[in-house]
Amino acid sequence: MRRPNVIQKETEQIETIEDLTGVFESLATTQIAKVRDKVEVSKEFFSLLWSKYSAIRVDPSTRITNREDDTSQKGAFVVISAEAGLSGDIDLRLVEAVLHDYDPKMTDIIVIGSHGAQQLEQRGVTFTHFFKVPQSDTYIDVSPVIKSIEPYNQVKVYYEEYVSIGVQNIKTIDLIQSIKAMSEDTEDNDNIITENETIFEPSLEEIADIMETAMKSFAFSQVILESGLAQDASRFNAMATAKKRASELVALYHLEYHRAKRSENDRQMREVMVSLKRKKRSTNRA
Amino acid sequence: MNQDQVLTVQARAPFELYYRGSALSVSAINKVGKFDILPGHADFFSVINPGDILIETENEEITIPVTSGIVCVKDDEVLLFLNF
Repeated sequence: MRRPNVIQKETEQIETIEDLTGVFESLATTQIAKVRDKVEVSKEFFSLLWSKYSAIRVDPSTRITNREDDTSQKGAFVVISAEAGLSGDIDLRLVEAVLHDYDPKMTDIIVIGSHGAQQLEQRGVTFTHFFKVPQSDTYIDVSPVIKSIEPYNQVKVYYEEYVSIGVQNIKTIDLIQSIKAMSEDTEDNDNIITENETIFEPSLEEIADIMETAMKSFAFSQVILESGLAQDASRFNAMATAKKRASELVALYHLEYHRAKRSENDRQMREVMVSLKRKKRSTNRA
Repeated sequence: MNQDQVLTVQARAPFELYYRGSALSVSAINKVGKFDILPGHADFFSVINPGDILIETENEEITIPVTSGIVCVKDDEVLLFLNF
């Protein structure tokens, strides 16, 4: 049996892990609530932006996509993973989904998040661009990512979807289709804005360009936010499991500690009794 | 400027609402230069240059730093899409 002071030391270490996982757990909960609020604000932003964009009556199907029917060109997979570990198995599932569809001859991979990049490198998969996950409470700068996808005719985004605190899925979207899908949720616009009664500075075309960039950035920011939410939920689950395991270990260590302590007391008592008996015998002999 | 009139202003970023309410004026900078929007302004659509946007309300002046933006004015309703 191990000595009580050794067990006590290990118990203290496990208790520290238990406290730490508890902190991570509550951080993840706070983050989930914060992101949910942001998603609500962002929906309103997109709805207003789209209503103005559709009012200037440019044709989004030819302008936003900028695609030609040229299938010989490569497409791009954009993989949105976590920046660091401790987010359960969600990034592993994400990378497996990417590799399932990946054809090196037809596809380039663009990775957002160090954890995903690490997982791909471990599997010997090369990627053309890597970006850290943009971190901000109010502004997600996706302009470098937008620039990196410009040469591609088809952009498929792999990200982590938050369903509930217990369920997170891997999702794939076509970026352009997702913009169109978002626009379907907004109300039809009958306030047409034309150059006859509105001043455009610098020009209608340039304004449409900027609005399209804004919508692409927005669509990206949305999936990055959604992935972050899923990672937080996954982290929450991983931490809750680790905390539960640590609590169970602490209980076991306490039990072992008390057993060891009692055993040590018994041994000391036996030693005292034996020495008393010896002393008594030697006194009797004398 | 008609003193009885005010603007209805919404200034938003994708994940933040900076201001929503009435205002006396909105000032910003575009490619042409500095401009002010007052009640009765013509319908107007413009790209905003990086810098500060100033919203003057009856009680205060709100300054919003912007890196990118679009302003849309129609019938005294001002929509500012910022920092996207």
